[in-house]
Amino acid sequence: MSGRKETVLDLAKFVDKGVQVKLTGGRQVTGTLKGYDQLLNLVLDEAIEFLRDPDDPLKTTDQTRQLGLIVCRGTAVMLVSPTDGTDELPTNPFIQPDGA
Amino acid sequence: MLPLSLLKTAQGHPMLVELKNGETYNGHLVNCDTWMNIHLREVICTSKDGDRFWRTPECYIRGNTIKYLRVPDEVIDKVQEETKSRADRKPPGVGRGRGRGREEIGGRPFKGIGRGQEDGSKGMGGSRGRGGSGSKGGGSRGGGRGRG
Repeated sequence: MSGRKETVLDLAKFVDKGVQVKLTGGRQVTGTLKGYDQLLNLVLDEAIEFLRDPDDPLKTTDQTRQLGLIVCRGTAVMLVSPTDGTDELPTNPFIQPDGA
Repeated sequence: MLPLSLLKTAQGHPMLVELKNGETYNGHLVNCDTWMNIHLREVICTSKDGDRFWRTPECYIRGNTIKYLRVPDEVIDKVQEETKSRADRKPPGVGRGRGRGREEIGGRPFKGIGRGQEDGSKGMGGSRGRGGSGSKGGGSRGGGRGRG
């Protein structure tokens, strides 16, 4: 009925841009968003999975795995964010500002 | 107060979202929907152990992965205003059902419901003309439905 307006975030602006996707179960993938639908199924090109430490699956390591062209199933997608402007911070940003 | 009303009211405010996997996301809520899918801006992501931090300009979080959200206290004041104004409109919808029962057959409440819908579809004019007590409900009926 409401067509594509369903999503809170319009993924159109990420098309052909790098996105980072976290999947249920803990896998983390980046790639170029080539397509999507209202169920949040995603098409990623040149996808790279960030492998996790086998001893501590919470931590991602620097090891990667090339996945190529993939479809991420929408129900498994937890989080989508652009890779542009995403950086790891060296320090805890919540301690510095005023202690508020 | 409904959780999702609070969340909707919190749009534009900073908030913390913890996911089921323990990661937390601090950012300004841009938008949310009825599945609690949310869109945050100026986000700081914290790993589960609280040791690593990432900054990202925006992110989309699927509602069913959320454990809880922390919203600023001031949001609750705003949401109450909204629920009040909504409450002003809602009671007529409830009253409608009661009014009908009184007017028509007291002994058969379930049948009454079916009839009531017919009445409603025919138009408010009919029910409005019927009685003073019903007319109150009839007047705001459209509003009440539209909301729900």
